[in-house]
Amino acid sequence: MNKRSLNEKQLGYVMVAPALLLVIVVILWPVAQSFYNSLFDYRLNDPSRSERFLQSNIDLERYANDFFYLSRDLDGLSEQAPDPDASEKVSEIGSELMGFHEELLAMDGVGEQYEIVEERIASFQAIADRDLKYSQVDNDFAESYKDFLTAAEADLTALVEASDDEEFSTAASNVAGSINSTNAAVIESNFIGLSNYGRYLQNPRMWQSLMNTTVFTVISVGAELVLGLLIALLINRVFIGRGIVRASVLIPWAIPTAVAAMMWGFLYDGQTGIVAHYFEQFGLINDASVLLSTASGGMFSIIFADVWKTTPYMALLLLAGLQTIPNTLYEAADVDGASKWQQFWKITLPLLKSAILVALLFRTLDAFRVFDLIFVLTGGGPANSTESISIYAYITLFSQQNFGAGSVLSVIVFLCVAIISIIFIKFVGSDLFAGRSGR
Amino acid sequence: MNKRAGIGFYIFLVVFVFFVMFPFIWVFLTSIKPPGEIFSNFRWFTSNPSLQSYENALTNRPLARYIMNSFVVSSLTTIIAVAIASVAAYALTRLPIKFKGLIFGVVLASSMFPQIAIISPIYNFITDAGLRNSYLGLVIPYITFSLPIAIWILATFFQKIPWELEESAKLDGATPFQTFRKIIFPLAAPGVFTTAILVFIGAWNEYLFALTINTEDTWRTVPVGISFYQSQFTIPWGDISAATVLVTIPIVILVLIFQRRIVSGLTSGSVKE
Amino acid sequence: MELWNKKFVGSVALSLTLLLAACSSDNGGSTTEPEDDDGGDTATEEQVEITYASGVDVTGATDILIEEFEKQNPNIKVNRREMPADTGASHDQYVTIFSSQSSEIDVFDADVIWPAEFAQGQYALELDRFIEEDGINMDDYFPGTVQSGNFNGRQYAMPMYTDAGLLFYRTDIVETPPKTWDELFEMAGSLQGEGGTEFGYLMQANQYEGMVCNAVEFIAAYGGGVVNENNEVIVNNPKTIAGIQKMIDFVNSDFVPRNILSFQETETNNAWVGGQAVFARNWPYMQSTSNDEAASEVAGNVGFSLLPSGDAGNAATLGGWMLMINRYSEQQEAAWEFVKFMSGPEGQKITAVEGGRAPTLEALYEDPEVQEAAALFANEEFVATLQNAVPRPVSPIYPQISNIMQVELSKALAGELTAEEAAANMQRDIESAMNE
Repeated sequence: MNKRSLNEKQLGYVMVAPALLLVIVVILWPVAQSFYNSLFDYRLNDPSRSERFLQSNIDLERYANDFFYLSRDLDGLSEQAPDPDASEKVSEIGSELMGFHEELLAMDGVGEQYEIVEERIASFQAIADRDLKYSQVDNDFAESYKDFLTAAEADLTALVEASDDEEFSTAASNVAGSINSTNAAVIESNFIGLSNYGRYLQNPRMWQSLMNTTVFTVISVGAELVLGLLIALLINRVFIGRGIVRASVLIPWAIPTAVAAMMWGFLYDGQTGIVAHYFEQFGLINDASVLLSTASGGMFSIIFADVWKTTPYMALLLLAGLQTIPNTLYEAADVDGASKWQQFWKITLPLLKSAILVALLFRTLDAFRVFDLIFVLTGGGPANSTESISIYAYITLFSQQNFGAGSVLSVIVFLCVAIISIIFIKFVGSDLFAGRSGR
Repeated sequence: MNKRAGIGFYIFLVVFVFFVMFPFIWVFLTSIKPPGEIFSNFRWFTSNPSLQSYENALTNRPLARYIMNSFVVSSLTTIIAVAIASVAAYALTRLPIKFKGLIFGVVLASSMFPQIAIISPIYNFITDAGLRNSYLGLVIPYITFSLPIAIWILATFFQKIPWELEESAKLDGATPFQTFRKIIFPLAAPGVFTTAILVFIGAWNEYLFALTINTEDTWRTVPVGISFYQSQFTIPWGDISAATVLVTIPIVILVLIFQRRIVSGLTSGSVKE
Repeated sequence: MELWNKKFVGSVALSLTLLLAACSSDNGGSTTEPEDDDGGDTATEEQVEITYASGVDVTGATDILIEEFEKQNPNIKVNRREMPADTGASHDQYVTIFSSQSSEIDVFDADVIWPAEFAQGQYALELDRFIEEDGINMDDYFPGTVQSGNFNGRQYAMPMYTDAGLLFYRTDIVETPPKTWDELFEMAGSLQGEGGTEFGYLMQANQYEGMVCNAVEFIAAYGGGVVNENNEVIVNNPKTIAGIQKMIDFVNSDFVPRNILSFQETETNNAWVGGQAVFARNWPYMQSTSNDEAASEVAGNVGFSLLPSGDAGNAATLGGWMLMINRYSEQQEAAWEFVKFMSGPEGQKITAVEGGRAPTLEALYEDPEVQEAAALFANEEFVATLQNAVPRPVSPIYPQISNIMQVELSKALAGELTAEEAAANMQRDIESAMNE
């Protein structure tokens, strides 16, 4: 018996392994990356922050490109200078720059890497290889180099402003521009730890979107649970045409969200929308136009569409749960003279508990991350009143390309959802785990 | 609960189904209206119905191809996900392994992260694996999204199956895997088919990954394909309505087939004790 | 190949230097013959394929363009990649693709608001050396469109077609279109209901990019601005506030639909072709949809004019699309050939005639075939509008600026904020976004 149980154990691990492996590779790994991203000031649309750097680095591609003009233009500039002071200042900058440059090239391996990069640039090849493009440098060196470049730019700008010589001014401001660009190629670490979290926890827009998400989740999941349970009880009965009814009740859910949202936009339209029209006719709203153009109307619209679309999902899960309740229990209850109502409370609900928990849990997780529906139907408007936290994260990530901040928002979603799940499992679902291995 | 239903019940049922179906009915009615009538009034029926929109829907874009793609992707996802998940759920509920709570937690945690945040890494992963514009490129991410819910649902079902059956199988000398295949899996049929429907439609509905990963028209799925009917400033409602109706038909047929299995699980007497 | 490369490094690097020096000083006076043997000749013999990404095109012009290009360049095959019709959705797709440094797309359509962002993100290729090499005169293009493709003195995008906001009116109701916003306000109010109309005026006020375009028109008409040429945020000033206030007045008037806050171009067009309104602000495309007799109830009764003036004249927001090359494209020469064709007179003519899109080359408006393609193109007023269209802020963080404007303006239009508060909030938020 002991040997067998060992076998069973091993078999158990083997059986769980494929699922775990897939989940870890395809989901948990990206999730871990997101966590990591959230610790950086990481923005794709800013070359000096478009990678995650724990250390100071030089973007050799940019640097080599800019340095080429810079060293040459600086030489010419000192000759063009209208007065000796300026000329001296310029050549001083030039020699200091060369000093830094040589120090950089003397670093371990940087010189060779620099040469390869230069060749690539000369043949107009973009450098996709991260290891070639960036070279790690000493933090102190980067800092002093940047300080110098900032000061040099300021000096040159001052010279430009002081000078009457137009030719010199133009040339000098070009050089100042190149210095500025070189400065951006010297990249300091963009690791910022938890400060993005601090920032977003004080951000009213984040709280507003979290609030919107919560309102949406609570109302829509609540309504879906009640309606889903009713539908499940209804279609669990025996009647003619049950198959058709079951299939048709599932139709809303089988229409892809992206399409359903477009469709509801069409139905809610203040001029031509049939649903808006009937709501107005039946006095549910006082004006067909309020559905998509006011804050409460917008929230109502997305909740209503979501309830319509996902109640079948809930109903199907609960229906499956109802199937596992033995008929004998009801028969016995009938014999004991229990009313239908009593049967529902005493038999159905308790035995349906784990099905309800799972349905509720997964619906809540989904609803809290709601995206497609709102994105297509209201885009978060009017006046941001329907912006969910996922929408806010999406805008930050993709439209603004701020991956650090977007990841922070995603992690916040994750944490909220995790807390919700823990509460669910703690208070509602303890029986799902208990007794599993016990019996 | 087996009593035959009365007339009142059927009336209620018809009204109820009508309300649930109303948006879809309206979409259908829109799909047979000529383009000029779609926006101009609230009339239900058009006096000159036309199939023009259907013709457009099928000829302007390869809708049949989209349906096939969706069908293949969703079926593969369903088969693989249900297979992996039922095995895992069995081990998690019936076999004496450690860290069950942790594993359940990890699996659940993977569906707590907003999907939009993992699009980029998954896009890179699929690209590096050379799976862009293929069925597998969508199936792999879809399986992972459906695993958590599949494992959880199946676990609740497996857990309800009486231990006595398993014990007696063991006494007869069946291996745990045989027990799983011959006893547990068939008994949990309602759960398995419910899960299958959920996973299938979940994969059928997915939009963002399909849009990002399969960028060639011949590999697009239904939700993405339908969104491509519109152009920058115009939405051809007739065509989109017709396409929506057309893509819903296979799903209805599928659900009709599957739901019989849900019933059969029950009638085969899974839990007669 | 390696050796060959090395030999040319010196000379190529030198010409590159001269080139870039020339364009940074803005007048490409004397330039050496740039890389005369750099791939140009080999490319004509080799068969290459490039991928061109653009949004859904129902006019079929894109296919004709590609066909014509392939006829002229038999060695280059162009694969079409369709992107979502929704501008925002395709932007986000491009970000996903380019941020992974993929070379799968060579040439792509870019909305006028993207070049600075994509240039800064190092997704796009500088086109200056190609422009120089082929002697393309950027002065032939409308200045606003060229400026939109320029970032830090380098040209990253070639204008393909342009767009600008117009005021449409019903010729059967209105005799002379209003000249000022105040006149429009009055006329829309008094004419509402005539000729079977329900509304006086239609605009785009939903919380999205199009609303920013509407707002920019009001703001510029009253002499305000958002970001000036020195990259300073100037949104919180009395003139801008006056413009925003005017927009608020329109949105809250009783002659616009009560759900104007959910109006985008599609809603505007639907209500307009349904004959529901006297005036409407929309892009030029509405001229052709309103005259489509199968779907429009107002065919033949639609006129257009410049948008009305405020205290500082009138202004129309610059729209339209550009062509850009992926920085990581492996076929840059071929990609450029395609861009050159598409943005050149021949390509733009096809786009205008087949697709009904307004060219960015001024000279094309003299072309009889183009003039015939759409009544608009023969109209001097229209050409003048395009020429003077106001660009939205050119900034690498434009999406963020736009998002801030959308949120604050939407709140102002919904009555949650006053114009002054909205302007102050925008000033604060845009400044902090730019200083980050």
